[in-house]
Amino acid sequence: MTTKTYDEPVATSSETEHHYEELDKIWLEERSLSNSFAQPLRGLLGFFLSFGFFMALWYVTMDPRGILQWYTPMYGYMYIRWLLIVAIWQAYIFNFWPFKQKWIEETHPLVKGPIMIGINWAITGAIIWIGFFWLIGKFSIPYFSWPELHKVGMTDFFAREYAGLAVLMVAAIASWLAPIWPMAFENYPWHNLTQPAKGITVLCITSLLTIFVYFVFMHPHYMVLFYPWQKFVAAMPWWYESAKTLSGNYNVGWIMCGTIAVWLIETIWERYPFRLIKSQPWRGLAGFVWVLFVALIMFNTFNLMQDLAWGPAYEGGKRLYAPDWRYLHSGELAVMMLLPALVLYFYFDNWPKKFSTEVNLAIRTIIVVVGTFVFNYIYYQISPPLLGTQPGYSHPQQFPMAPVILWIVIMLYHNWFMDGWPGKRIKKD
Amino acid sequence: MAEDFSRRSFIKGASLGVAAGYFAAAGLSSTALYKQVMPAEKLNQTDIGEIKALRMKVISETSWYDNNVLLNDLKGAGGLLVNQYTIPWTTNGVKAGYNGSNSGGFATYIEADLMDGSTKRILLDTGWNPAWMEKRFIEEGIAEKLAKKQIDYWIISHEHFDHYWGLEATLKYNPKQEVYVPKGFYTEGFDLLKGKAFPKAQVKNDYPHTGKVNVMDSSKVNPLFPGAALMTFDMPIICRVFGEQAFVFNVKDKGLVLVTGCCHMGIITYMETVRKKIKGGEKIYAVQGGLHISPFEDWDPQYDDLILALNKYGIQKIGANHCTGFIAVEKMIAAKLPVVTGTKRNMTKRDIYLGNGDTLAV
Repeated sequence: MTTKTYDEPVATSSETEHHYEELDKIWLEERSLSNSFAQPLRGLLGFFLSFGFFMALWYVTMDPRGILQWYTPMYGYMYIRWLLIVAIWQAYIFNFWPFKQKWIEETHPLVKGPIMIGINWAITGAIIWIGFFWLIGKFSIPYFSWPELHKVGMTDFFAREYAGLAVLMVAAIASWLAPIWPMAFENYPWHNLTQPAKGITVLCITSLLTIFVYFVFMHPHYMVLFYPWQKFVAAMPWWYESAKTLSGNYNVGWIMCGTIAVWLIETIWERYPFRLIKSQPWRGLAGFVWVLFVALIMFNTFNLMQDLAWGPAYEGGKRLYAPDWRYLHSGELAVMMLLPALVLYFYFDNWPKKFSTEVNLAIRTIIVVVGTFVFNYIYYQISPPLLGTQPGYSHPQQFPMAPVILWIVIMLYHNWFMDGWPGKRIKKD
Repeated sequence: MAEDFSRRSFIKGASLGVAAGYFAAAGLSSTALYKQVMPAEKLNQTDIGEIKALRMKVISETSWYDNNVLLNDLKGAGGLLVNQYTIPWTTNGVKAGYNGSNSGGFATYIEADLMDGSTKRILLDTGWNPAWMEKRFIEEGIAEKLAKKQIDYWIISHEHFDHYWGLEATLKYNPKQEVYVPKGFYTEGFDLLKGKAFPKAQVKNDYPHTGKVNVMDSSKVNPLFPGAALMTFDMPIICRVFGEQAFVFNVKDKGLVLVTGCCHMGIITYMETVRKKIKGGEKIYAVQGGLHISPFEDWDPQYDDLILALNKYGIQKIGANHCTGFIAVEKMIAAKLPVVTGTKRNMTKRDIYLGNGDTLAV
């Protein structure tokens, strides 16, 4: 995904001139945008627009003081995670099919944006309510369904929360694995197929991987979540000895880092360095390993930072000292890292571009790391009055991931579905 | 040429990334380097003195009577982050409730025999439903002790509805009773103490408090009298509450006894903090009170972590009740932890833990 702003020079380093042609490009990569305003006005306008829409959507759907009050928190977070993965499917996997490229290019953002967002919401609702709550929950695994869990004796509140966690985790894993195929493998070996065959094929293969990862890394969490332990339907959490917790939050943490690693590599790091490999599938495999490697570095770094800040966690500890919360919080910190990265990429033209690739990437990384610390500080200062959350870090009923990802979803709507309008427009040749 | 260049560039980039990443993060968190990076643990233990003996009587541990009703109240209001003073709690029509109300409350009466032969009397918390709490206070002689100014300390563990909102039951008998609240109390909590009503939540106080209010600092151990101290923990809690405090007693020849209201900080976290900050903290003899594991009979793998870890601390007596939850206690018993059983009376539903009217003596 390279939403180039062609009024400015793209990277000028010699190495970028030598990287190999991609096998397959999505429309977002081919799209030419022109700028309506100069920087920093364009960047600030886009930033505050996305923030304003995020705040409005948060208040209506999530805020505990708001209208729908879905942030309980798992129930609301479930919708947010599915909005994200469905947007990725729409733009990256299906390349905006069934819409024709001509229609996407010629239709005003204020027309096509709401249509695509409407589709995004409709698919999300259908997957959750028909796919999980009705189909899978009723005929296969009750813990994927709020109504079914309630029917078998769970209190209504916790039925909704437990099912919400299971459903959102499928989306979380998918949002890690699904973009890797178009991004690293460039849809190889199906790059020559047309839509929707290509989209369906890639969706099937990434969904298969998602199901496999879910059952290995998350399903055992549900073995111990219910009383008595469900030892006939799931394995004992196999990570207990090394992670010092039975909770699946151990895996949630590094998988979230994986999700974020994908997008850091795709945006501010421009697929470097695996883009320098000549042929597929080696480029894709290197990309996958690179994502995993970056994810584990992030995960270990955030774990270590927390140990340094608060001291080591205790086995059996709660709140700040719960090992599982620490892992989860590493994932939360990773999500906080993506926000400044996307702001830099979408709204400030992925500055800088004038140095060598390594220098460009290093400067952007420094900006994002500093931005993460600044955002982290601001978030914990102002989120209680702004979002209706409670002060403090370790509240078991709130996750910074939820509001941050909702804001990211709004940025994707704005930049993928609406071309960053009004700061940018499709360039007419 | 281009192929060679790109391969070289890739190897260069990948090597740089791997090396930088390893030394920046993965390497530091490996076992060998982790110990060098992490600062050594510092113990800063306070000597709180000793007492001769301790008796803890459960006045009421039945905070609510129907879990489904309480959870539906919370769900209807918008979940567990909603301000407790804005929730329309169900106070009538509950079959399992006290006179139809779902609200009960939590309070514990504590007597500590000092080394000089005197006795200190403490009331921990004051419940939720004033009618229910007054009934229990009368039945257990607390009302009389309040009226005779025989309660030395009135401690509020935290601001939650089921520990604090029944304050009329205390203030009716002694509005001047000095009170100790943890740092983190919200304005509404202080206003309620002064006599303000919150009609939506159906909580009021017709007996405005006229005594001294002490807000307990969270940065240090707060000694009460020789052999007893309070410790305050900063943390957000459900229903927009912040902070909780709990007791540490040092009983001669036995060891430390931890007495809690809800223990939202977690009993392991509490014991580890005591180990670092209280002399003799390595030996916890007993814990008593709510341990906040499965208050709604819900579950989370983190709670199993806690029960599995509890066995490593060598506790001699676990006088759990209230928000510990029945599932958690059943798991503790299965894990052969020394849970003290009760007598199942005064509306406590089961005898597997200390219930209303039961006493743990150390």
